[in-house]
Amino acid sequence: MRIAAESTSYRLPFIAAGLTAAAWIVDQRLALLIAVWLLAWGVNAVLSRSGAPWARVAVPVIFGLTLLGLWEMAVRLYEVSPIILPAPSAIGAAFAANTEILWADFVQTILRGALVGYVLGCGIAVLVALAIDRSAFLQRGLLPVGDFIAALPIVGTAPIFVMWFGFGPGSKIAVVVAMVFFPMLVNAVQGLKASDPMQRDLMHTYAASPWQSLIKLRLPTALPFLFNGLKICTTLALIGAIVAEFFGSPTVGMGFRIKIEVGRLAMDMVWAEITVAALAGSGFYGLMAMLERRLTFWHPSQRR
Amino acid sequence: MKQLTMMGAALLASGGMAMADGHADEVNLQLQWVTQAQFAGYYVALENGYYDEEGLAVNILPGGPDIAPPQVLAGGGADVMLNWMPSALAARERGLPVVNIAQPFVRSGLMLTCWADTGITEPADLAGHTVAHWFFGNEYPFLSWMSQLGIGVEGGEDGVTLLQAGFNVDPLLQRQADCMSTMTYNEYWQVIDAGVTPEELVTFRYEEQGVATLEDGIWALEENLEDPDFVDKMARFVRASMRGWAWAAENPDEAAMIVLDYDETGAQTEEHQLRMMGEIALLVEGGDGRLDEAAYQRTVDTLLAGGSDPVISEAPEGAFTHAVTDLALGE
Repeated sequence: MRIAAESTSYRLPFIAAGLTAAAWIVDQRLALLIAVWLLAWGVNAVLSRSGAPWARVAVPVIFGLTLLGLWEMAVRLYEVSPIILPAPSAIGAAFAANTEILWADFVQTILRGALVGYVLGCGIAVLVALAIDRSAFLQRGLLPVGDFIAALPIVGTAPIFVMWFGFGPGSKIAVVVAMVFFPMLVNAVQGLKASDPMQRDLMHTYAASPWQSLIKLRLPTALPFLFNGLKICTTLALIGAIVAEFFGSPTVGMGFRIKIEVGRLAMDMVWAEITVAALAGSGFYGLMAMLERRLTFWHPSQRR
Repeated sequence: MKQLTMMGAALLASGGMAMADGHADEVNLQLQWVTQAQFAGYYVALENGYYDEEGLAVNILPGGPDIAPPQVLAGGGADVMLNWMPSALAARERGLPVVNIAQPFVRSGLMLTCWADTGITEPADLAGHTVAHWFFGNEYPFLSWMSQLGIGVEGGEDGVTLLQAGFNVDPLLQRQADCMSTMTYNEYWQVIDAGVTPEELVTFRYEEQGVATLEDGIWALEENLEDPDFVDKMARFVRASMRGWAWAAENPDEAAMIVLDYDETGAQTEEHQLRMMGEIALLVEGGDGRLDEAAYQRTVDTLLAGGSDPVISEAPEGAFTHAVTDLALGE
């Protein structure tokens, strides 16, 4: 078995060379792209087999850099119009030249819009989940309402919220709250049911009050579910805050910037904002994942 | 790239030959907004067979709030587009070489509509008020105007607070803004239709403020215009379109009805389109399709003066050609 695997691995470079040569006949630029791709793949394959401790970091980094490199090469080799797809270097230059604008947009959209809406929406959802948990009546009434809110399309709610709450962050917060409320609610309600009857009976025999049993048993067992909701909602909050700005905004914000820069075909700036959104989204998600690891270390899913 | 152009040329040549057999040359026209009387000339030319007579099969592609015609042109989705000059020149500076081949609209329909009870009587009064404007390339004349008046757009006592509004007049009606950008032929009448009387409003026409920029020009890609067959096709297109405009200006009521027939969304109403056609006729009046170079220069000057973040940083070169209109209308 091992011999077979090794003999295939010896054959791989030849297959790669053959593929590149074939592509060379069709289109030399394509061959170049394929060659770079195969080379990087080969390096990663060797690295991941070597088992070196730093390979865990190096492999994804090389993968990402290869993608960027291929993007840059493809745009240059095929002379793609910057209006269709700017090169990563052009996006980087736009990013570096406009850090002040990007920061102001980040503060307006992420900190004043998405983050506030996220905290409010998730907070309200957890409180409602606690209320639902106490009463089967509320469960029958409120869950469908939450479902209804979640089903409202953002292109319908955003202009209405702009009329209700103004052009500023207020309307963006409202959109985010409407977007994150339901996923958080469903997860929280499910989480509060996660403790099993034996554990609840045990709390009962200890004569624990409902409050004590909530704090010491049911909230901790609900944590994995709560974090699922919190993680899903990070990206929803970002999308909501950015898209809501399309329907009315002051002259600052990521969605506003994307809209006007598309209008003047400055796609490098649009991609710079997309980069900010991607970084903010990954950072936000990463923060939640880190918190989850700290707080739910006891859960089987966190075992290393 | 070379191969592509060669293929394009070959296709065009075969298209020219095909026409001799009775087949029409295809032209895809990208509008910059939804089907409405603003584009009556083109729909009239289509309906009355003016394009057919020129051997053209014209496909009119309606636009919308999130369709940027230059991007459609760049992506190959259209051969020719209608565009406001600020947006087209911005695209040109950004590396999409579009060229104005004809200019049916000789006047701008853009104006600022304010509530009279805010005490605004002249442009200088705008300081300290809130203005809702469309963006997406429509904001440049306003920014340039404010820059000429020395009024900032960052808010505060001496500046205007600028809001990016959607394409409806709610911000004005809800009084979230004291003033709002409107078109003489469209949004102004939406305000009136909402029960506001003209006496309650103060309007400033950009045309009268000296910051008007050319609207609704016909633009094509520079590389295509190197091909004489394409220029000939465009000349026939412009000639037929201007015939359509002339007919629409003479028969505004019938023209509005033709537009209504082509409105696939069914969103437009007869009353609104009739009124719009009347206003549009004023904007095309006196034009024969040739670009007025003085108006072009005024547009460029306005854009270059566009405040701290001008839409174009230097005067464009080769952004228009008379070749098509000369061929279409005769010297």
